[in-house]
Amino acid sequence: MKKYAVIYRSVLMENLQYTVNIVMSFISYFIFIFVFIHLWNYMYDSPGETIAGYTKTQMIWYVIITEMIWFAARTATVTRQVTSDIRGGNIAYLINKPYHYTFYILSRYTGEWNIRLPIFAGLAVIAGTIMVGGLPDFRAVTLLASLPCIILGITIHGVFKLCISLMSFWIEDSNPFQWLYDKLILVVGTIFPIEIFPASLQPLFKLTPIYTVCYGPSKLIVDFSPEKWVEIIVAQLIYLAAGCGFMLFIYSKGVKKLYVNGG
Amino acid sequence: MVIMTKVIEAENLSKTFRVKRKEKGMRGSIQAIFHPRTEEIRAVDNVSFDVEEGEILAFIGPNGAGKSTTIKMLTGILYPDGGGIKVLGIDPSKGRRQLAYKIGTVFGQKEQLWTHLTPYDNFRFFGAIYDIPDGEAEARIRELSETFELGEFINTPVRNLSLGQRIRCEIVASLIHRPQILFLDEPTIGLDPVVKENIRSLIKKMNRELHTTIFLTSHDIGDIEKLCKRIIIVNSGQVVLDDSMEHLKYHYLNKKIVELKLQEEALLPSAEGITVLKKKGGRVKMEVDTTVIKINDALRQIDAEHVEDINISNIPLENIIMEIYNTKADRS
Amino acid sequence: MLTAVKNQLRVCALSVKYNMMREMLNKVTFLTNILFMVLNNATFLVQWMILFRLKEDIGGYTMDEIMLLWGLTASSYGLSHILFAKAFSLSDLIINGKLDSYLVMPKNVLLSVITSSTSTSALGDLLYGLIIICFFCFSIQRFFLFLLFTVTGAVIITSFAVLMGSLSFWFIRAEMFGQQMLDSMINFSTYPDGIFKGTVKFMLYLVIPVGMSVYQPIHLMVHFQIGRMLAVLGYTVLLAAAAVFVFYRGLKRYSSSSLMSART
Repeated sequence: MKKYAVIYRSVLMENLQYTVNIVMSFISYFIFIFVFIHLWNYMYDSPGETIAGYTKTQMIWYVIITEMIWFAARTATVTRQVTSDIRGGNIAYLINKPYHYTFYILSRYTGEWNIRLPIFAGLAVIAGTIMVGGLPDFRAVTLLASLPCIILGITIHGVFKLCISLMSFWIEDSNPFQWLYDKLILVVGTIFPIEIFPASLQPLFKLTPIYTVCYGPSKLIVDFSPEKWVEIIVAQLIYLAAGCGFMLFIYSKGVKKLYVNGG
Repeated sequence: MVIMTKVIEAENLSKTFRVKRKEKGMRGSIQAIFHPRTEEIRAVDNVSFDVEEGEILAFIGPNGAGKSTTIKMLTGILYPDGGGIKVLGIDPSKGRRQLAYKIGTVFGQKEQLWTHLTPYDNFRFFGAIYDIPDGEAEARIRELSETFELGEFINTPVRNLSLGQRIRCEIVASLIHRPQILFLDEPTIGLDPVVKENIRSLIKKMNRELHTTIFLTSHDIGDIEKLCKRIIIVNSGQVVLDDSMEHLKYHYLNKKIVELKLQEEALLPSAEGITVLKKKGGRVKMEVDTTVIKINDALRQIDAEHVEDINISNIPLENIIMEIYNTKADRS
Repeated sequence: MLTAVKNQLRVCALSVKYNMMREMLNKVTFLTNILFMVLNNATFLVQWMILFRLKEDIGGYTMDEIMLLWGLTASSYGLSHILFAKAFSLSDLIINGKLDSYLVMPKNVLLSVITSSTSTSALGDLLYGLIIICFFCFSIQRFFLFLLFTVTGAVIITSFAVLMGSLSFWFIRAEMFGQQMLDSMINFSTYPDGIFKGTVKFMLYLVIPVGMSVYQPIHLMVHFQIGRMLAVLGYTVLLAAAAVFVFYRGLKRYSSSSLMSART
């Protein structure tokens, strides 16, 4: 365990150098939210109106939080680095190192988002408060309770993206699959809460990673309830376990293929 | 005597770079965010030299000595901070494009060819870049592929070629427009000895038949020894030696290495100017400084009756160059 | 002069052709990239179907016009990435001293650089745009306008990319900033301009050039007006000229700069 902590720490240190860049990448985030505020301003006719059970403020804060998770988790480590390691043959050296490659990547990933998330969270809260005002009935306890859900959500996201990248053992370019996964999360999961979709589709979405990666944490912050909290945490733990199991499975399959075919 | 024209004239060239520094550890990382520190490095410091038409010149020096920076200034990629350059009568920083038609560049570590295309297609591409009409490009490709013996693989995609074949194609690609000067940066890096030799003889041939002036940088002493008549050594941004190869050898070859195999009871020669470098059993290796003691006098010191074997040789060029690198580095 | 231009265009055309050939080496990857990009763009229709369930017009756009907006954005983005993909990683070339090899060539540096790579998925974007115009909002006039605006849009996006990339000649941090601006441009160009008001609208014409690359063309495809048309064309030429000017100013700096840690 200690070696992963060392990897984590060194990535953390390395990324401190890029603080300015991270702050700058907030511009994209800000514009994204900015466009959404305009969109929802247009969609809501009167201040008291609710759409799918969300007031305008809740709707916008929902997007602020899902997008914050999305942007914080956006690093090339679980995608481009893994694909280039595998396709470029570097993996042959890495599998013989005294650590498990997938956990090595995840430690790096964690080091990266641990810097990005606080910066984004701070800036997002400031921007959100100024542009749409604070959330009504918001309590600090809610945030504290939701924090583990955010952490789990981002981790699950990393595991899934890593799984897709590991497909590179078999296919030349796993990027198209990344796009589709991203679009699932982005279009279906981050810009709207699940409740806005036709009722017949909603149970289906609960089975996808959307529910655990972005919907869950965001819903809790916007509209907290203890029952929901338990439900989401349990779903996340199941997802994480299944995701990791799947990741280890395809990794070992991939490595086996590597040994047979010699890359 | 033939009057030579100067194709490269560099006078008091200088170039300074600023590089970033970061202190160690977490503290350093944080510090670097708020107070990035920079440091100045004089990459090229008051360098002057000329190159004459048809020369093969070795431009060498340890890593970071300023070789590449100098080449970049000669080809117009970088502008000097101070000093003046004329290449084929053109100031590279003013007439870069005009100059580009007249010079060729080969960087051993950087590829300019499209790897998924055949050498032939690549050459046609370079023909188009240098505005060579189709018919003429065709003729030049034929001519060059004969000179460089590309016949067998001219229609094989570059990615399927061996490193040696690839380098040959790289060189041909940069000769399509018949440059008057060819800049070769480490052309034989990573090649096996046979291929190296082959490339060298082709470079010689090109110099002889096409009268191309060659400006070569290399870490390979073999390249320098076998190709070049003149050598410029730079270190820490300064020219530390600019001399003909012959002169260099003569100058530094006033030391001879004498290796002896003696019978056990033999006496070791001892005189001023003879230094024993190594002694193991009957095997002795010594250095004779011919400025102190003439070689025949030195040989007379040897107990000839007990000699089983003798070998006299020059100090290898490699050692000479290393010595120059070291001594001149200390001075600066 | 004319032959110089002809030769230059010939080299560019060869570059693009050879780039494409490289992408096509692996047919499966090539085709999946294109197909998935089409699918990728199509997923956003979900977003708009949901929004149009809530309201009939959004920012003055109908569902058809939103599709047109998406189609034009995709096709102009696609075209610029097919022909000039390297314009979008100009910063990296500048910061890491990779412009050197283009500088020893006797051709136009900017054109040689930006045509030196291509993107397969961009073909999917272009294809998506064409599918939209041909199957969902077809009329002869509209089709030709669509093609024209795909070209002007591609020129505007590329010019903007060159301008943003060129900032790296002066500021090291500009890489990130330029990338953000380009991302924002794409972001803005997939939403109807009717939802923005006042200063924001103004910025979309002056700071981020989406106004002239997508919004005006969409309005023109709905209601043609010759004056607006000329404005779009004029803007395109001006922005391209500005990009060329700034790039060459920067290039001069690149050659005389001393702040090149990666270059020895």
